[in-house]
Amino acid sequence: MISILISAVQPVTPEGIIDRYPNSYNHFVLPFVIGISFILVYLLIGLIRVLYHLTGEDRIKLLKSLFIPKTALKNLKDLFCDCLLHTKIWKRKPLLGYMHSAIALGWFLLIIVGHLEVYIFAPRHLEGITEGSLYYPIFYRFFIWINPAHETLRGTVFFFIMDLLLLYVLSGIGLAMFKRVRSIALGMRHTTKPSLADRVALYCLWAIFPLRLLAESFTADLSGGSFLTKPMNWMFKAFFGNELNFMPTWWAYSICLGLFFLAMPFSRYMHILTEPLLILMRNAGLKVRKPRKGFAEAEIYACSSCGLCIDACPMNSQKKNLKYSSVYFIRFLRRHNNRRINEIADKCLMCGKCAAICPVGVNSPEIRRVQRETLNNSINYDYSYLDSIAQTAKPENAEASAEGKVLYFAGCMSHLTPKIIKSVESLMKASGTEWEFLDKDKGICCGRPQMLAGKTQAARKAIQANKALIEASGCKTLLLSCPICLKVFKEEYGLKGIEILHYTQFIDRLAKEGKITLEKGTEAIVYHDPCELGRGCGIYNEPRNVLSAVGDLKKAPKERDESVCCGYSLGSMTLDEKDRAKIAEHSVDNLMAANPDCIVTACPMCYRAIRSKSPVPVKDFAEAVVENIKPSKTKK
Amino acid sequence: MKNNILVIGGGPAGLEASANLKRLGYNVILIEKDKQLGGHLAKWDRLFPDGVSARQTLNALLEEVSGVNCFTETQLQSINVLDKSYNAILSNGITVLADAVLLASGFDLFKAEKKEEYGYGIYEGVITNADLEEAFREKKLPSKQPQAIGFVHCVGSRDEKAGNPACSKVCCATAVKQACEVKEVYPDADVYCFYMDLRMFGRHYEDLYLKAQKEFGIRFIRGRVSEVAETADGRLQVKAEDTLSSKPLRVSLDMLVLMAGMRPSESGKTVGRQLNLTTEEDGFFSSADNLLEIQRSKLPGFFYAGACTGAKTLPDTLHEARSAAIEIDRYIKEKFSEK
Amino acid sequence: MIDFGFSVSPSSRINLDSVDRESFAALAKLEPDVLKCMACGSCSASCTASQFEPTSVRRAILSLQNGQVEQALDLLKGCMMCGKCTMVCPRGINTRHLIISIQKIYGK
Repeated sequence: MISILISAVQPVTPEGIIDRYPNSYNHFVLPFVIGISFILVYLLIGLIRVLYHLTGEDRIKLLKSLFIPKTALKNLKDLFCDCLLHTKIWKRKPLLGYMHSAIALGWFLLIIVGHLEVYIFAPRHLEGITEGSLYYPIFYRFFIWINPAHETLRGTVFFFIMDLLLLYVLSGIGLAMFKRVRSIALGMRHTTKPSLADRVALYCLWAIFPLRLLAESFTADLSGGSFLTKPMNWMFKAFFGNELNFMPTWWAYSICLGLFFLAMPFSRYMHILTEPLLILMRNAGLKVRKPRKGFAEAEIYACSSCGLCIDACPMNSQKKNLKYSSVYFIRFLRRHNNRRINEIADKCLMCGKCAAICPVGVNSPEIRRVQRETLNNSINYDYSYLDSIAQTAKPENAEASAEGKVLYFAGCMSHLTPKIIKSVESLMKASGTEWEFLDKDKGICCGRPQMLAGKTQAARKAIQANKALIEASGCKTLLLSCPICLKVFKEEYGLKGIEILHYTQFIDRLAKEGKITLEKGTEAIVYHDPCELGRGCGIYNEPRNVLSAVGDLKKAPKERDESVCCGYSLGSMTLDEKDRAKIAEHSVDNLMAANPDCIVTACPMCYRAIRSKSPVPVKDFAEAVVENIKPSKTKK
Repeated sequence: MKNNILVIGGGPAGLEASANLKRLGYNVILIEKDKQLGGHLAKWDRLFPDGVSARQTLNALLEEVSGVNCFTETQLQSINVLDKSYNAILSNGITVLADAVLLASGFDLFKAEKKEEYGYGIYEGVITNADLEEAFREKKLPSKQPQAIGFVHCVGSRDEKAGNPACSKVCCATAVKQACEVKEVYPDADVYCFYMDLRMFGRHYEDLYLKAQKEFGIRFIRGRVSEVAETADGRLQVKAEDTLSSKPLRVSLDMLVLMAGMRPSESGKTVGRQLNLTTEEDGFFSSADNLLEIQRSKLPGFFYAGACTGAKTLPDTLHEARSAAIEIDRYIKEKFSEK
Repeated sequence: MIDFGFSVSPSSRINLDSVDRESFAALAKLEPDVLKCMACGSCSASCTASQFEPTSVRRAILSLQNGQVEQALDLLKGCMMCGKCTMVCPRGINTRHLIISIQKIYGK
C-alpha cells in the first residue's frame, strides 16, 4: 500500500538522466561471475571427490535413497527445516535461530523471488547466456528500469516483497554483527576464533546486503523500489545531488559477492553448500568409514565452526579441556593436522552431546572413533580362547522351552554393581518372568569398549562369540541393564528374530501389560539420562513413564538429549580419576537443581559415578521399581 | 580463678585430655554429641593386641573424669574467636567462655556401602568390623555355623576411588584380632584375610599375627577383593587375585567382614567450617607442624588430640590427649599469667 | 677369574642388570600412572578376560619392570578393554590407556 502511494506521489522521468545498457552487460558483473564460476567448479570437484571415496555399496545406497518416497520426503523436509529455517537452532536459542533463518531463508527467497520477478517481467532474459541470464536476477535493479508511469500493481507487489526480504536479511546481518561484539548476549559463552578466510567471507557476507540496499536505492528511481529503497533514494538525492554514485556501489556489491564465493571453500561458510549433501547422505543411512574421506569429508565441510559444541561438552566444565572440543577436532581434520587430530581424538567422552546439539548434525564422536581405529585397530590381540565357545555353542542344541524365556546379559560393569543384578532378579520373580542369566558366572565383553577404543577388529571377534552364545540359548528376548552393551547389541550384532530390550523398556512393558503393578510413592525423583541409552539409543520416554508411576518425577534443567555425562564414560581414553570426578560433580549439580529426594539412573557406570558425588540417595532404575512393586494378590 | 577449657568430643582422646587438664587445675567442660561417653571405644568389644575388654578400658578412662563438666547429647552450636578466648554456644543453651579449646572429634567409620562392589547392604552376609564388634558385645553372632568367613582389609583406605588414599592404621591389627575371635567361636570355619600389605607395626602386633597363623590357622591371601557376587545357593562368592601365585582366585563364603577405615568425623567438620580450620588433602585437620606441634592448630588457643588429625591407634590417641593437656597448660600459663 | 661352571637357566632368574630401562622410561613418561601400581591385584581379580586366559595389568607392569617384555605382552593380548580394571583400581590408574600404550611401545 505504502509503496503504491509513494510511487503515485513521486513520478520520476528517467529519460535523459542516465544511460541504460541495452546489451545487458556491464563490467561490474565480472567479480561476481568469476566468484560464482569458481564456487560451482569447486563444488562439482568436491562432490566427485566425496562420492569417489564412498564404497561402491554406499554409493548405490545413496542413489537408491533418493528415489525411496519416504526418504525423499524426509530429505525435502530436512533440507527446508535445517538448511533454511534452522529449526534446531530456533528450538535451543530463538534469537540465534532468527539470525540464521533471516540470512539463509531470506537470501534464498531473495534469489527465488528475484528469479520469479525476472521470469515475469523480463522473460526473454532467462533464455540465453548471451543475454546475461546469470546476473540478471542478481543485478536486476541495475539492468532494468521501469518507467513509473508503467508501473503495474504486480510489479509493486514484487518491489514490496523484495524490499521486505532484504529487510529480513538485513535484520539477520545486524544480529550477526551484534553477536560478534557480544556473543554472550545470544546465550553462547564460548565461540570459535575465525581464520583469515573466515574473516574475509564474514566481512563480505556482512557487506553484501547493506551494499545491495545502497545499490538498489541508488537506482530505485529508475528500476523501481518500495518502502525501503525509495525513501533512501530520495535521501541520497538530497545529500549527494546526483545519481552517479551508483556505479561504485554496484561494483562494490559485485566484488563482495565474488569475494565471498572465492573465500567460501576455505572458510566455515562452506557449510551452507555442504549441508544439503550431508543431509542426503545421512538420510541414506551412510556411516563414517574413514576419518577424513567420503562421508566424513562431507561432515567436516558441513561444520559451521559455530562452537555450540564447546558449551555443550561436559568436559568443558574444566577450562583446560576447551581445546579438545569437537569444533577444533573437525578444524584440524580439515587442515590435515595429524598430530593434533590424534591428540584430540583420544580425549572425548563420546557422550554424543555435541552431535545432538549440532545445528548441522555433524556426528563428530563417530569420526573420532574411526580416527582411533586408524591407530589402534592394528594392535595385536589374541582372543583364541573364544574359539571354543563359538564352536560348542550351536543353535541346534537350544532347548525348545527356551523360546519364551528372557535372556539376561548383565555385562562386565553390572558385576561391579550387585544392586542392579539383585534388583533385576527380584523383578523377574515379582513379574513371574521365565529367564536365563547369560553371564552370571563368566561372561564375554559386549564389544562396545573395544569399538570405543578403536579396536574394531577385536570387537568383531567378541561380538561373534557372544552372538553364538545368544543364538544357542534359544531365547527370543535379550534383556540388558547396561546401555553401553545395549548400543552395540542393537547396532552391530544383527541378531535376527531376537528382540533386544533395555530393562527400562522391559519394565515399562511389564507395567503396561499388568505383569507388575507399581505403587506411587511421594519421593521426588530426578532421572539421569545415560549417554548411551538416551543419545546413543534414543530411549528417553520409557524410563520416564515408569518413574512417574513410582514417584514424583522432576525435571533436571538439562535432560534428555542435553543430559550431562557422568564423566565415567568408557569413551574417554585419557581422562584421569580427578578429571572424571570433576565432571561427575558437574553432572550431579545439574540433577540437584531439581531438588530431588533421590536420583535414579539406568546405567552401572552412571550409577557408580553419581553415587560417589551425590548428596542424596542414588538408585538404580530397577531398584527404584522393585521398591515400589505392589505385591500381587493372585500370586502367593 | 580457674581457666575454662572446652573439650569437644567425649571419646578416649577427649576423656583422657579432660582428666589430665582437670588434674592440672583447670575448669574443664566436655561436650559429646552422643548419649554416652566413649566414642567408638564404647561400641567395641575387645581391643588388640592383648584382647582386653573395651568396656573395662573405657571405665578406667571414665573414672578419671569425675568432676569434669560433661554434657552429653550436646553439640557446638556456634563458636567465635574473641580477643584472648573463645565464646562457644552449646546446643543445650549454655554459653562457655573458654580460654582454650581442644578438638577431639575423632573419626567416622568409612561408609562401607560406598564400595558398591562389596555388596554391603545388599547381601546379608556382608558386615563391617563395627557390626562384628557389636555382635560380639551383644553376643548376637549367628548361631548357624558358617563354613567360611572372610576379612577384607583396606575398605575405604588406601583407595583413591573411595576418596581416601591413606592407610587407616588400625584395620590390619583389628582384622587379625577379629579373625582369631571368630575362629574361637567357630573353630570349624575356614577364615581368610584378604590383605594388600599387613601392617603389624606395634608392640605385640606381630605376635598376634603369628598366633593367628599358628594357633588359629587363618589363611592370609595377598590380594584385594575386587567383587562379591551371590552363588545359586545364596552364599557369597568373593573374587580376588592371589597375587603371590599370580592367579585369579574365587572362594565361597558365608560371612564377609569389611574392615571399614577411618574418615574425618562429620561433627568435626562442622566445627572446622565455623572456624575456617585448614585440612590436608586426606580431609583430616592440619596441625601447625606435623613433627613438633601436632597438638596445635593454626589458631592460638585451639588444639587437637586424637584421630581428628589422621588415623590413630588407641595408645597413640591417649598419648596425644596427654600431650595436648601439657600443651594447653603451657599456652595458658604463657598467655594469662603475665603481669 | 675362575669359572666354577655354575650357570642359572635364563628363565629362572630375573636379571635387573640387563633390563631395558629406556623403554620403560619412555612408557613412564607417556603413562606416569604405570609407576603408581601397588600390586593389589584388583585388576586381575575383576578382569573379564582373565576368566579365560591369564590376563593381568598388575603382572604386566611387574614383568616390564623386570624386563620380561614377551610375558607382559602375553598377559595383555587377551584384554577386552572392558574397563573394569580401571573402575576397581584403588590407585586410580587409567589402565585402558596404559594397556594400549604398552602394546604400542613394546609391541612388534
